[in-house]
Amino acid sequence: MSLGAAAPHLAERSWTDAIRVAVRLVCAVALMLIVIQAAIVVRARPQDLITGAYGMADIIRRAMPPDFSKIDEVWWPALETIDLAIFGTLGGVIMAVPLAILAAVNVTPSRALYYASRGLIGFARAVPDLVWALLFVTAVGLGPFPGALALSVHSIGMLGRLFAETIENMDMAPIDALALTGARRVQIFTHGIIPSILPSLLGIALYRLDENIRSSVVLGFVGAGGIGFELLSAMSLFQYQLVSLLLIVTFVIVIAAERLSAVLRARLG
Amino acid sequence: MLRVCGLTMSYPNGKLALADFELNVAAGEVVVVLGGNGSGKTTLLRCISRTLRPSAGAIWLDDVDLAPLSGERLRRARLPAAMIWQHASLVRRRSVLSNVAMGALGRYSGMWTALGGLPAIERRAAYDHLSAVGLAALAGQRAGTLSGGQAQRVAIARALAQQPRVLLADEPVASLDPAAADEIMRLLRDLATHDHLAVLCVLHQVELAYGYADRVVGIRDGRIVFDRPCTDLPRDAVRELYLSEAA
Repeated sequence: MSLGAAAPHLAERSWTDAIRVAVRLVCAVALMLIVIQAAIVVRARPQDLITGAYGMADIIRRAMPPDFSKIDEVWWPALETIDLAIFGTLGGVIMAVPLAILAAVNVTPSRALYYASRGLIGFARAVPDLVWALLFVTAVGLGPFPGALALSVHSIGMLGRLFAETIENMDMAPIDALALTGARRVQIFTHGIIPSILPSLLGIALYRLDENIRSSVVLGFVGAGGIGFELLSAMSLFQYQLVSLLLIVTFVIVIAAERLSAVLRARLG
Repeated sequence: MLRVCGLTMSYPNGKLALADFELNVAAGEVVVVLGGNGSGKTTLLRCISRTLRPSAGAIWLDDVDLAPLSGERLRRARLPAAMIWQHASLVRRRSVLSNVAMGALGRYSGMWTALGGLPAIERRAAYDHLSAVGLAALAGQRAGTLSGGQAQRVAIARALAQQPRVLLADEPVASLDPAAADEIMRLLRDLATHDHLAVLCVLHQVELAYGYADRVVGIRDGRIVFDRPCTDLPRDAVRELYLSEAA
């Protein structure tokens, strides 16, 4: 091709290149504006980090060494934190399974139930677990029980959605084959659907248990018991050495739960 | 045993998949349906098994017309007809024995089976069915570990657990190697001969049809082109069936 024939194409390309550069420039400016407005809205002051470093160092100095003499007082709240997560996860699974069946497009018995259950699952997920905990503390009083209820209800959101997706993605051929043998709906569910998806459901539930253990620590700050409640009390009373002990125990629990969950999920896979 | 009268199936887009289809399959008989892609073979089986509702016609299974039935009445009426699919469609995480015994679920309505249990008598029967297809040694193995041929034999054993009088098979050897395909067809032939089952089988392999069928039904554009005993079926007629598709 001669240079003359190529010229119109080259001219066309230079225009598209210019537009592409302009679009990139606009995107970069827009991104910068978003970052600046976010910094203004959160009132970010980097100088506070420098002046605050002294206060932080002071707290760390007062928290050392951790007060291991009070370890006996920590076992019970630690157990409470773990049990909060176990109860919350189990409660969530029990409520999420039937909702997930109704919310899975391939097995739901009716369109109305599908939308209703999807709505419930979405609502449970949209409200943060801290808000659920505040509501349940108001309803049933302080202690671990409102925390466990909050975790249960919030877990429905995540579990319900992931369970429903697992059901929707399963191989339907064995289910259809079972239906044609004359098996009833409930038999198809217990003999075909449950065995097919159980490992996936257990994996998701274990992952949620791991998340709930971390959440149960935070829930203590709003009066829902466990280690979080003890942390709040110790900080209010300036018992920083107890705070550091509680943080160490929290770290051990969270890491142990994470590892255990990962190992079990790997075995299920 | 199985009688299809004036079966017509047209899809909502107006496409006529089956037109005034007539077919009889007697006890102890193996009838193979041959035809090109899109000729209506699978639609025929899906209508007979009533996973599709035909637009018109009757499907007599013994003395019951399946065509107008639905819900619980259809489930009950359909019990004497077992279906074998192109893929075995087993529950991969359950044992081979459990998969076979599941074929009997339709006869039970109690709490035990609803909760995932299987009656002991059906487990024993399932073992016998597995022996019949030569896989008793694999009873305790997970279904997901089987080869294609083994899985298809387990699917046949599951169909037998249903205690059917009619076996419908939709390309049961399509995904198998020639040796395994031969084995499956021999098994279906034996079930017809010795257990007096009526077998209606959709196939693409002409040689298998000649080898194991009593009658062959040729189908094109949803209509019967020929319905003849194997011994009286010229190869040209079969070739023409597929040639017209290529054209």
